[in-house]
Amino acid sequence: MKNLFYTPEKRDDYNNQMHSLGRIFTWVALAIIVFVPVAYALAAGEQPDWALLANCLPFIAGYWAIGLIEAVSYAPLLGTGGQYLSFITGNIANLKLPCAINSQNVLKVEQGSEQQEIVTTISIAVSSIVTTIIIIIGLIPLLIFQNEIVSVLKPISPYVMPSIFGGLTMVVIAKYYKIAIIPFLGCIVVCVLGYSLGFGSSLSVATMIIIGMVISGISTTFLYRAQKKKAARLEAAQAPSEPNNKDVENKY
Amino acid sequence: MRESYVIIYVIGAIIAAMIIGMSVVFLIKAIKRAKAIGMDKKSITETVKNSAIFSIVPSIPIVVGIGIMMPYLGLAIPWIRLTVIGALQYEVSAAFAAGAMSNTATTAQIVTAIIVMTLSIISGPLFNAIFYKKFQNKLASIQEKNKHKMDSITGALLAGMLAGIISALIVGGAFGVGAPITDTSGITTYGEITLITLSTSIVIMLVCGAIMILGKQKWIESYALPISILGSLLVALAFVPVFAA
Repeated sequence: MKNLFYTPEKRDDYNNQMHSLGRIFTWVALAIIVFVPVAYALAAGEQPDWALLANCLPFIAGYWAIGLIEAVSYAPLLGTGGQYLSFITGNIANLKLPCAINSQNVLKVEQGSEQQEIVTTISIAVSSIVTTIIIIIGLIPLLIFQNEIVSVLKPISPYVMPSIFGGLTMVVIAKYYKIAIIPFLGCIVVCVLGYSLGFGSSLSVATMIIIGMVISGISTTFLYRAQKKKAARLEAAQAPSEPNNKDVENKY
Repeated sequence: MRESYVIIYVIGAIIAAMIIGMSVVFLIKAIKRAKAIGMDKKSITETVKNSAIFSIVPSIPIVVGIGIMMPYLGLAIPWIRLTVIGALQYEVSAAFAAGAMSNTATTAQIVTAIIVMTLSIISGPLFNAIFYKKFQNKLASIQEKNKHKMDSITGALLAGMLAGIISALIVGGAFGVGAPITDTSGITTYGEITLITLSTSIVIMLVCGAIMILGKQKWIESYALPISILGSLLVALAFVPVFAA
């Protein structure tokens, strides 16, 4: 327990501490979250419809797969602290990650650096606090003016994603345009084909994020290997013209 | 509106307190670490300020989401569901799968819907609690051995995410022109407004960039994204009655 309270000097120790804290909070959160349906059933004095629940198993399995893919694919982007926080508080693609990217960009932190990890954790922690407080504050007017609030704000709900990602794409495009162009074109083709063939409604933003990451992973691997080969060729071409240690030794 | 039980409000309050507590602990740990590695106070303050300002506008639709689910599930359950991991579209789909998004739904269907919502989202946190440390150590070892490779992986994931989102918005918007879509929660999306909002957000960001560079107004960098989000949402709000008519 003492290990959770001291401030580590080394990066590895800090990381381990974040893992320990993250795991504790995650288990506690899971226990409380899972208790919600039990408490509701007890309070209502009603059992679930077991047959209906069995029918919903494919739905649950589908979301389990999505959840695992998201946990693996977001991990390198969120950092240790950000990962634990984001997977408890949710709204990752539409709030937590853009918020962290914005802060990284404003501070111009180096990719993969410890500063990036820290800025990401601070951003996601602050964002989680602000969102939780706004939700709590929103509950009171919602109880009184539910119809009015929903009727005014509901129509603009679908446009929050384009409002965030229009500006955010402009901010990060300079950094990633070389590796983003192939997945972008690939995703456009998938979307156009999907909509033309009549299954456009299945291509939600969440689905397209996974498709985009897969295409980007494949294309970046090819680009990475091509770069590596090019660098090796250049090295090989330069090697004979440069005197090596033996040549230098022979001269003397 | 469906009844909410006191015990569910109490659990909701515990969850909200736990999330704030967890965030505060992580925030303090990260700030202490930032100071330990020599990050200046100004950068830390700026990160806190930027993140707080950025998070306000995108949080409002979450409150609206609670309002949409309230008539069917009461106030406490949507509050809990949208405070922890999950999102409106997913919660509504889960409630639909269990037949709970109806005024005639039985209590057994509501209990079933809450179980479906709960079980569906726990794979991510479970992965974190059991496997994430090992997985992250693997990522750290890649980073240590070959930083360029790790940068390529994170760059590819981020670029893929942006490519996926932008293409879904552009193509979804283009195919939605003249053919508005109403989803299971009753929200209608107009393709024209999606494209207008996206373009407005881009234009406002470019204008902010121009002011920052040409007008040498460095301060605007911190506010550029919140300004473009708010500005483009106001434009969307102005266009909704036009297309709804």
